[in-house]
Order: sequence, then C-alpha cells, then structure tokens
Amino acid sequence: MPARALPRPVLIAGVTGSLAALLTACSSSGGGASDPTGGSGTTAAADPRVANVTITAAGGCAPDKTSFPAGGITVKINNKDANAVSEVEILDGVRILGEKEGVVAGLNGEFAVTVDAGEYTLYCPGATPEKTTLTVTGEAAQGDEDIAALLKDGTTAYAAYVEDQTGYLVEATEKLNTALKGSDLKAAQDAYKVARPFYEKIEPVAESFTVGEENLDADIDARDGDVPAGEWRGFHKIEKGLFEDNSLTGLVPLGDELVTNVKKLQTLTTGLTYQPTELANGAQELLDEVANGKITGEEERYSHIDILDMNFNVEGAEQAFGQLVPALQKIDKTLADTVLARFTDLKTLIAKYKTDSDASGFKLYNELSDADKKDLAAAVKAVVEPLSKVASKVANA
Amino acid sequence: MPDAAQGTSRRRFLAGALGTAGVAAAGAGFGAGFGTARATTDDGTPTPHPAAAEVPFYAVHQAGIDTAAQDRLAFAAFDVTSTDRDDLQVLLASWAAAAAQMTQGEHIGADDIDPTRPPLDTGEAVGLPASQLTITVGFGPSLFDDRFGFRDKRPKALEPLPQIPGDADLQEEISHGDLCVQACANDPVVAFHAIRNFARIARGTAVMRWSQLGFGRTSSTTHAQATPRNLMGFKDGTNNLKAEDTAEMAKFVWVGDEADQTWMRGGTYLVSRRIRMLIESWDTDDLDDQQAVFGRFKTSGAPLTGKAEFDTVDLGAKTADGKDVVDLNAHIRLAAPSQNDGIKLLRRGYSYTDGIDQRTGYLDAGLFFIAFCRNAHEQFVPVQSRLGQHDRLNEYIVHTSSGLFAVPRGLTGPGDYWGKDLFT
Repeated sequence: MPARALPRPVLIAGVTGSLAALLTACSSSGGGASDPTGGSGTTAAADPRVANVTITAAGGCAPDKTSFPAGGITVKINNKDANAVSEVEILDGVRILGEKEGVVAGLNGEFAVTVDAGEYTLYCPGATPEKTTLTVTGEAAQGDEDIAALLKDGTTAYAAYVEDQTGYLVEATEKLNTALKGSDLKAAQDAYKVARPFYEKIEPVAESFTVGEENLDADIDARDGDVPAGEWRGFHKIEKGLFEDNSLTGLVPLGDELVTNVKKLQTLTTGLTYQPTELANGAQELLDEVANGKITGEEERYSHIDILDMNFNVEGAEQAFGQLVPALQKIDKTLADTVLARFTDLKTLIAKYKTDSDASGFKLYNELSDADKKDLAAAVKAVVEPLSKVASKVANA
Repeated sequence: MPDAAQGTSRRRFLAGALGTAGVAAAGAGFGAGFGTARATTDDGTPTPHPAAAEVPFYAVHQAGIDTAAQDRLAFAAFDVTSTDRDDLQVLLASWAAAAAQMTQGEHIGADDIDPTRPPLDTGEAVGLPASQLTITVGFGPSLFDDRFGFRDKRPKALEPLPQIPGDADLQEEISHGDLCVQACANDPVVAFHAIRNFARIARGTAVMRWSQLGFGRTSSTTHAQATPRNLMGFKDGTNNLKAEDTAEMAKFVWVGDEADQTWMRGGTYLVSRRIRMLIESWDTDDLDDQQAVFGRFKTSGAPLTGKAEFDTVDLGAKTADGKDVVDLNAHIRLAAPSQNDGIKLLRRGYSYTDGIDQRTGYLDAGLFFIAFCRNAHEQFVPVQSRLGQHDRLNEYIVHTSSGLFAVPRGLTGPGDYWGKDLFT
C-alpha cells in the first residue's frame, strides 16, 4: 500500500482553507508592486486610518501622521530612492505586529495591522531615521485575536502532529520488521516504502536529539559513509539488503534495532513542547533535506524512492509552517501568501511524478531527467528563500 | 550614490581615503592592475589603488560597456519562472537597489542586526573595495512573449539571432535566457559576489540558466589600456572600438532616437559567444602557420604587412612571388571593417577555463566573447557569417554558447530600475 493512503491529520484542510481566503483577500487589497506614480494619493492622506509612509535616502522613513484611532490601520509605503531599505514594520515593543517586504527603491506596497490604544514603533530597517513612534488612542472597535495565542495554538497542534507521526512510524516499522522475519522479499520491500514517509515528515525533531556521541537520527537514517562502517545501521542498511542485495539475509537484527530506536524517538517526543521559531526552522530544515539529499538521489540510493521522501519532507514542512500561518497572516500577509503559494507550486510539481507502477506511489528517481531534477531543485529553493524569513517574524510574537 | 546617511560601507576602513577621489578616478581608464588594493603607506594606512575604486552606477548608459575593461568577469543568464508581472518588477527593482550598493563597495541592505534571520548580504565581499565593479543587465528575446505582456515592446533588433555558419556545436542549455547579468571587477570575489546575490534575490522568481566566469580580459576598450592576449597567445582586438571615440560609439554601439522602441534609447545589444579553443591542436601548430591564421605577428601583434601593433594592415600587399601577404582566409582580413562595409563592434571578452573535458582530458578553455553593438543583426551577424564560414581560425575553435540581449539605458538614480519603462 502506498503510504499516502494512510490517515492524515485534519490540519492540511485548515491550511488550504485559509489559503483560499487569503488569496481572495489579496486580490482586492491591491498589494504588491505597483507603479510609484500611483499609490499614496491625496485622498488617502485624509483617511485617519491610513499611514502614508514615504521612504527617502535623505529623509528616512516618514509617516504623514503619527496619531491614529484604535482599530485597523493601513500602512501605505512609497520607497522613492532609499536603496538600503526594503521593508517596513509596525512593532509593539519588540513584537512585530505587521510587516511588508520587497518595497525596494522605486516601488510601493502596503499592509494592515489592528491595534489597541498605546505606543507603537514604525520601523524601517536601514533608513535614517529608521524608527518613529506612533500613538494610538481610543478603543478598538473589535478585539483582535491575539497573535501570541494563535502561535500557541499552532505549536500545540504541531506537537500533536509529531506524536501522531511517531506513532505511525512505530507501527509501520514494526510491520517492516515482521516482513523482514518472513520470506517474501517483495512484501518487505513494500513495507520499507510504507515506513519511510513517517520519518521523513518529522526528521528535524529526531535530529534535535543529537547530543555529543548520541545521534538518534544517524541510528535511524544514516547512509553508507555517513558514519564509521561498523556503526552503520537503520533504514538505509536495510534498504541496501532489500534493494541491492535483493535478500532478507541478515536483516532481522537490523529490524529489531530499528524498532527499538523509533520507540526511543517516540518516548523522547511524547509531551514535547515547541517554540514558533522551531516550527519555522524545522520546516526549513526539511526542505534543506530535499535540496541537499533527495535532489541528488543520494538518500534512497538503492530503492530510488527519493520522490516519496521528498513528498513527505515537503508535507512535514508544510505542516510545521501551516501552524504558523494564522499568526503570520496578521504579521506579514504577503509573506504568508508567498510561502503558501510556493508550497502549492512545489507540490504540484512533485504530483507530476505520481504513478501506480511503484509501491512508493511515485516514479523512481533514476527515471527522472536532469532537467526534471533541476526544476524540482528550483521549486524547493523558491519555498526556502521566503520561508527563511519566517522565524524572525514569529520569534518575539 | 553617495549616501552618508544610510548603509555601511563594506570597506569602512577605506571609506575616507577613497571617497570622492576614487569616484573621480574610476571613469578614467585604469584597470591595468589588481590585487594591490591593500598596499600601505609608510605609516601603515592603506592607500587605495585606482583598480579598487568605484565606477558610478547611475549614468546615461549602463556601466560595463564603455567602462575600461576590468580584469574579471562573472556572467549569468536567468530564466524567469514566475509568470506574475509584479514578481518580475520587484526582482528588477531589488536588483537595481542591490547593484547600486555593491558597485559602490557597500553591502546589500541595511546592517544586519537581527540574529534571527539570514543576513541580507551573503558577506564574502565584506572588507573588499568596490574593485571597479560594474553590473550590466540585459533582456533576452524570450522575455518578450506573452507572460508579462511585453510582446508589443520587443524591438525589431531583438529578433533571435539566425543560424550562422559555425553554429553546429551550440548547446541550448548554455545559450540564451530571459535575462542576462554581466558583472565585471578587478577582483574575482567581488564579481562572483554580485552574481551570487542576484541569484539569491531571484529565487522563486527566476533561476540561473547558465553562467560563465572569465579570468582575464581579452579586450581593451580605451586607448589607455594595452591590448591583452588571448589564450592562443595573440593580441586579438587591436582595432577594437575605444570608449573615447564618442562618434564611433554613437555610430556603432548606442541605440539612438531611431529606436523602434523608445525604451531602448541609450541602450545597446549584447552578443555573447562561448568560443572553446582547441588548445592542444593550436599548441602544435608551427609559428608561421599560427601567424598566417591571424594575419599578425605573434610577439609584436603587428599585422604581417607592418612593424608595430597599431600599423594599418595592407590587405593588398603581395610577396615577391605574387602571393597575398595576408592570407585570404586570415582572421584579420575577414574581421577587418574595410572588408565588412565598415562595420565595427565593441568587443569586451574574457578568457575562460572550465577545467578539462572529462571525456578527453583536453583543456576546456577559450574565449567568452562579448560584444556590444547597435544592431546585432546588422553588425555581428554579417561579420560572424563570414568568419564562421571562411576563417582559418575555425580549425582551432568551436562556438558552444550564444546569446543576444537588449541592454537598456542606464539608470537615472535611486528608485529607477532596469526595464522600468516596460512596466508603465
């Protein structure tokens, strides 16, 4: 059975739903790049809820007003000629409430925040002056859902996701081990392909338990050459037996040991809590796994099921990132939209290689052309680049 | 642009000394030396070398064309993968802001003070002077399809090049592209840094299609520069156009008011050709034959009918027994403006090597030819058609890559960016 047939957490649906909502909102907001001659016009200047921010090399980052009524505020940015400035933020203390990136010299952009009474900072990194204090008075018409609460919900949900996946991993590894003890090579090969995805989805969590000589990730997932020959064990040694030697001989002790190690992982991850930055960085690490190991076909060098791994690295990354989306949407909607859209592009590309001809559910990696691999590599990097900006946005929230 | 208020110079320790003097010297045609930027005076303070200075970024024409040829090249072609016009606009504006900073020896963006995010600049050029870095951007014919609504804005002169004799070995995967970037500097790290950061800024919007490093200039583009030698050991390009000859530059290089697309006024066209030299074969050719192939003396660079490098070649000269002194198929004859209806090009190429050809063990090295002209179809194509068909040099060279790009006008100041006119 292809692994993708196994039950999935409901979270993905939530992410997809909010993406649709975001895209709708985006198309009517007129964000993004636009001609600098348009944008912050005189009619907008009269609106007490609009901050028209002009950025110049000489004058820094200047809002047309610094006092606002509580509630929603739209920040409209026009970067006239400041080459060193490319983003604008609204801060509450050190916490980023909202932000717009990519407003380089010559371009416009806008974003919105919802604020209660108090003092806030308009921050344009690289401008001189780069900070201006904004004063907000009155009561917000409607309470804004707290970003910190949204992030807490996200990390809690992610912890549950990791626990689910390690549970499935233990289950599937036990089935693999049972198959290794039998005599049906094909059944064991298929069981290997079923077990792999669960590990690939949460690999950075396992990596986080690397301390000194202890390396659970290596015990589970090292490739030939990653560790001294005598210490090589885990999935890929089993893979070599199953797909290169085409034999079950000698694999039982390896199977037993692997079950022990994935159970150890399960114990370690049960009850674990996560910081928002760990979700962002974890998502990025998963994609780095794809870029550095799978694209070259070095991960599954005997079974060639690298696209299966890739698919679930990406799924794991999207799950981790997805938990940050509700908060990130409020902090930097453009960035949230961009990352989600690029995840969609990447998944669409990977889906091209789905097939029923292999038990992994995907084409084998050695059937792909160099051009195919190059396209995949570019699609991965297209996600990673904006994703690398997420951690800093949720760090102080 | 001098902008004391923002940005930290990546060579803060040189800033005072270089300031205005450096900028003033930059255009004047230095570039003979490199690697001397760290020379010190008696009291130990660094003294800048002109080769370390800044070339002004904002100008009527893009820099890197009539700029005295620097020693190093990093060149890349990109394909735009996004079909969103806004993405392309943000990319070109971000490139322009980054280039304005890098060419002035500054790092990209503001100082990185937030430890929770990746630095905006990759950092390998920190501490290095501007090194006369120029960044020149061009648009390939393929950019003007239906993706961005530019179909009606393609100049006629940006028709893809036709097949030219000698094109049999061109490799599609290292040819053409939607965008090209030429980074030239007197320090290879500075040139590479520019291309690397452009590729980084492009991620998600455009991908690098191919790239080429050049390690030594093969052209002189000012009278002050000596003519360098190519990897065959010859001075090729003695009769190159020179930046000081403004009338000739206007006639042969800069697109004027006659442009069918107004956005190309003040621009030019870039032709790139990766020309691999069959070095091992060349090295076993006797000197007489080598000189006959080029039509020049190897040591002096003089035409076979003269004594000094800049002597005018006499294509009609005969030997005592009535033979042509300059072979009918010699490179100098076929490339001579007098044999090509007076056509000239501004050549600005670099020697390259990409190691060895793993199939044979032979050196993969040669000339990364770059030329600028007002209309490649009227200038490059006729000359190369003659050369590709008849040049004796063809026995020793193979063209492996080709590109044609429209290079728009220079940027007016901060806030302007490449192709801005296309988005209005």
